[in-house]
Amino acid sequence: MIQLEDIHKSFEQKEVLKGISTVFETGKTNLIIGQSGSGKTVLLKCVVGLLDPDSGDIIYDNRHSSEMNQKERTHLRSELGMLFQGSALFDSMTIQDNVLFPLRMFSELSEKEQVDRAKYCLDRVGLNDAYTLFPSEISGGMQKRAAIARAISLNPKYLFCDEPNSGLDPLTSIKIDELIMDITEEYKMTTVINTHDMNSVVTMGEKIIFIYQGDKEWEGSKEELFHSRNEKLNDFVFASKFFKKATEHIVKD
Amino acid sequence: MNLLQHVGRYSLLMYQTFSVPQKWKLFLKQTGKEVEKLGADSLSITLIISLFMGAVMTMQTQMNIENPLLPRYTVGLVTRDTLLLEFCSSILCLILAGKVGSNISSEIGTMRISEQIDAMEIMGVNTANFIILPKIIGFVLFIPFLVICSMFCGLIGGYFVSLFTDLITPATYIYGIQYWFVPWYVYYSIIKAVIFAFTIASVSSYYGYYVNGGALEVGKASTNAVVNSSILILLFNVILTKILLS
Repeated sequence: MIQLEDIHKSFEQKEVLKGISTVFETGKTNLIIGQSGSGKTVLLKCVVGLLDPDSGDIIYDNRHSSEMNQKERTHLRSELGMLFQGSALFDSMTIQDNVLFPLRMFSELSEKEQVDRAKYCLDRVGLNDAYTLFPSEISGGMQKRAAIARAISLNPKYLFCDEPNSGLDPLTSIKIDELIMDITEEYKMTTVINTHDMNSVVTMGEKIIFIYQGDKEWEGSKEELFHSRNEKLNDFVFASKFFKKATEHIVKD
Repeated sequence: MNLLQHVGRYSLLMYQTFSVPQKWKLFLKQTGKEVEKLGADSLSITLIISLFMGAVMTMQTQMNIENPLLPRYTVGLVTRDTLLLEFCSSILCLILAGKVGSNISSEIGTMRISEQIDAMEIMGVNTANFIILPKIIGFVLFIPFLVICSMFCGLIGGYFVSLFTDLITPATYIYGIQYWFVPWYVYYSIIKAVIFAFTIASVSSYYGYYVNGGALEVGKASTNAVVNSSILILLFNVILTKILLS
């Protein structure tokens, strides 16, 4: 479980996060939704430690980030896995070497055990035929799956995904969503997903936080989302006419 | 950002870079790759430039020395000393600042904008140490070899002029390049080149590491890396010449 307590973050004069408090629950897919520029990515970067909040605290299973020393931070980072918007695979390495990288860097396994683990992770995401290929030689969907394999190679306790479906076709998006859900359940991780894709919200949203201009505007489950009377949330959720009509039918039924 | 801020941020980056590697095996493997990419891959351009510059220096010296009081072997001597004192260290490193500096800066800059550096940081990797240190060590280790090859090729270029033109005889040229040889000039050249190599690798890494934005910024960082490395090489050249030769 990750608890956020009154997180503030500004860049020069611009206040991007205006005191966000929430809880990301273990074994669930926690979604952060909101328009582009609302502060979702900054919030995620604060949670993973790429940015330091100006004030507030982040508590990872009773460990306060504000009280951690460098050694504890490094240890915490070995428990994090992250899937970036652009996959962020190391383009000078093969897919297998990408997955092996965190294992070589941080595990005490033998070379054979490391290779076995990397192959297991790649097989788990359905990339058993891409071990020797380079990131530039595979599709966007395969790159996302390779990035998931790398993220789970060290058995992380927390998985963070920054817009995992950006640039993917709807069918591949659904597969990636399902893969993330399965992995979350299988590894009992705390998964936090940053998205503005409503299909993902419908598929995965066990807990949803809506960010509006740096503030937490709404929080709830996907069932509550469709019955909410929050105007800003409804403007965001029902921005697509197709989605609005489809939801009206579902609610009527 | 003013000069003082750049110096401060560069110093902090170097402090972060020069720490004990987290995994020696990976560090050594990475350093080997950088030796090949930054050093060995620069060998051909070094040899070609040195060969032609040596030839041109010999011709220019011969054509511009018309004083009958100066012995003919002066051509060989001037070519040798120009190569040893300036060309094989300063000029070569200015040329390599373009090739190696832009390579380092654009590679690290692209890693930054494609979030590869962020991905490593989330894993807990000391990215400055893992990415920058092998580049600095690899290039600094290989540069003496490049300098020695450059000296050798420059002198060969001059020899070809004596062989294929009637400007100077091969025997006079050979006598000239051996006459009044000061071995310290070779060490001086290597010392300078090592410092210049460190400057190129570290300054270019600095500009690449702090890229913020997209492809345009990577291009700008690459240009800044080459320009500022070149200026620093010229500045250090003056300082080192004063320290090492006076």
